[in-house]
Amino acid sequence: MIRSSAVSLALGYSVLGFAALILFAFPLWYAWQGTIHEGRAEILLADAQRLTEIYRRDGADALKSYIDTRVRMQIAGERILLLTDADLRPLAGNLAAWPKSVPATPGDYHIQVDMGDRGGIQAAFVHVATLGRHNLLVGRDNRLFAPLEKRFWYGLTGAIAVLSIAGLSIGLITRHALMSRVHSIQQTISAIIHGDLKHRLPTHLTNDELNTLSRTINGMLDQIEMLVHGVKNVSNSIAHDLRTPLAELRSRLEELTLIRPPDAQTFAEIEGAVADVDRVIRIFDALLRLAEIDAGMRRSGFVPVDAADLAATAVEFYAPAAELRNIALNFHSEGPLPVSGDPILLAQALSNLIDNALKFAPENGIIDVAVQRRGDGAAEIAVTDNGPGINDAEKVKVTERFYRGDASRGTPGVGLGLSLVQAVAKLHGNALELQDRNPGLRVVLSLPAPQAPYIGM
Amino acid sequence: MKILLVEDNERVSQFVVKGLQEAGHTTDHADNGRDGMFLAAGEPYDVIIMDRMLPGDIDGLAIVEVLRKTGKRTPILILSALSEVDDRIRGLRSGGDDYLTKPFAFGELLARLDALHRRAHGVNQEGPLTVGNLHLDPMTRKVSRGDRQIALQPREFKLLEFLMRHAEQVVTRTMLLQNVWDYHFDPQTNVVDVHISKLRQKIDAEFDRSLLRTVRNAGYMVTAAE
Repeated sequence: MIRSSAVSLALGYSVLGFAALILFAFPLWYAWQGTIHEGRAEILLADAQRLTEIYRRDGADALKSYIDTRVRMQIAGERILLLTDADLRPLAGNLAAWPKSVPATPGDYHIQVDMGDRGGIQAAFVHVATLGRHNLLVGRDNRLFAPLEKRFWYGLTGAIAVLSIAGLSIGLITRHALMSRVHSIQQTISAIIHGDLKHRLPTHLTNDELNTLSRTINGMLDQIEMLVHGVKNVSNSIAHDLRTPLAELRSRLEELTLIRPPDAQTFAEIEGAVADVDRVIRIFDALLRLAEIDAGMRRSGFVPVDAADLAATAVEFYAPAAELRNIALNFHSEGPLPVSGDPILLAQALSNLIDNALKFAPENGIIDVAVQRRGDGAAEIAVTDNGPGINDAEKVKVTERFYRGDASRGTPGVGLGLSLVQAVAKLHGNALELQDRNPGLRVVLSLPAPQAPYIGM
Repeated sequence: MKILLVEDNERVSQFVVKGLQEAGHTTDHADNGRDGMFLAAGEPYDVIIMDRMLPGDIDGLAIVEVLRKTGKRTPILILSALSEVDDRIRGLRSGGDDYLTKPFAFGELLARLDALHRRAHGVNQEGPLTVGNLHLDPMTRKVSRGDRQIALQPREFKLLEFLMRHAEQVVTRTMLLQNVWDYHFDPQTNVVDVHISKLRQKIDAEFDRSLLRTVRNAGYMVTAAE
């Protein structure tokens, strides 16, 4: 239990509390004792002086009767008085005999005296004075201060006890609270370790450390789940989409060995086989590129780039292809538009967007590529076509890997184009927007301004 | 050309050596890093083809680095199954001159070797280029064929300039994408072909001999040959 961080922390605080208490109490005790001692010494000295005065003025007998009167009048035995002759035989006072521990020389002494029937043995503080041939002892017993002292010690002990109990219980309560939360986190994590990535750590509305940590871990889990889900999807899709060309390839080759057609036909088949293999390789390359982007590895490649220039190059690159199909490919820009990004990936994303638009725009159609700075400083690249567009149900799916909409049947491609654009957009900190143009589709890719580079997810 | 191939895969090696032989080059082959390093350091080669991943304790990039540190300037083409852009950059940074991802088409490899060799032998970089009766002046940015001036768009000019710098040599689509458009990815369309046919219309259309030819399964070539 000592090993629990909460308990040891509470115990540590308690020990610190003891130390503070002791540091406070002992000087106080010391000062108190000093003050009492001084005060008593002064009173005793004054007493002794007054008695000495009587002795000098009126003689030993007067003092003796004065002492007798005083002793008689006294109620409590707080005052000790004793007058003796030179041989320390008592003449007057309330002590039966001169205390053995006190020498008959003037001075202050702490002693134990026997007060007989008025209290037995008491601690006392006495002043001794010599008056001619007589000895005078004036003292006060310490009983007066005993309750005070006792209370002081009780108080100190009580404070220490309260401190210890409070420390220990706070420690135990904290430990219990902490352990129950740690336990629930442990349970969640062990469920996750066993493969169920849907679990999330419990969080509360407060902003304490554990909660902040839990929220961060939950964010991490979201990302991991998404990645794992993505990988699972991709593996399924790979299995499906690579099997088809591989199956074609296999049957093509097997047929060759079985039929053994004439040379010319054999070579044509082999060329077909190479094309099949190239198709498989292209799918692989696209997937690897996607995986690379998803892993966020390319963020280190961010540099200031001119989005307008990238878009202009892409438009110019596709212009002859558009011309061939009588599609007007227009470019609108307001001059250089610096953004922070990966030029290779952005060029590829732009090229994919224009390529898509070209695929879906009708003959004599119009494609607009516009680059502009938005109000919030982000750059916006929009590619608009007047093709069939995408209905809302399909909008979610088009960025999924290997998804090919009805409209894309019969067009070349493997269904990874928009997934890549989506991944690139995400890497640059923004999502891809698909807007209806009735007819047509407007795809918007927004990019952060270079002054405020995108940090973290 | 005298070429060194450092590659551990037997199948790929055979394919490359045979292909290079048919193209008229002599090839030495090493199937591990130690032999590769030994040959590369000792013999004078025109170009070295270096696989990145080699058996044993010496990998391709390490050999490239050692060669560069010892002052060997032989052009090196790095072959690798790693396609990620960062790997490509690392390969080029270690001192490689070009990078080709496996699997590759033999035409692509051959075209790149030619280009590397030619670059290393300091072909005139600034002066006017001439192929047959086609002239291109990079300084004045003027193009003419015979006594006729040809007006080209800036990108068309860049395309023709690249092709003419590699005249009598096959230039692949990937090489054009990388060098003319700075596109380091495969746009998966035939757009390059469209650009070429537009260019061909401007420089070849009204002449009886075509200078810009398509090489089947490989790419394009600007040539004055019949």
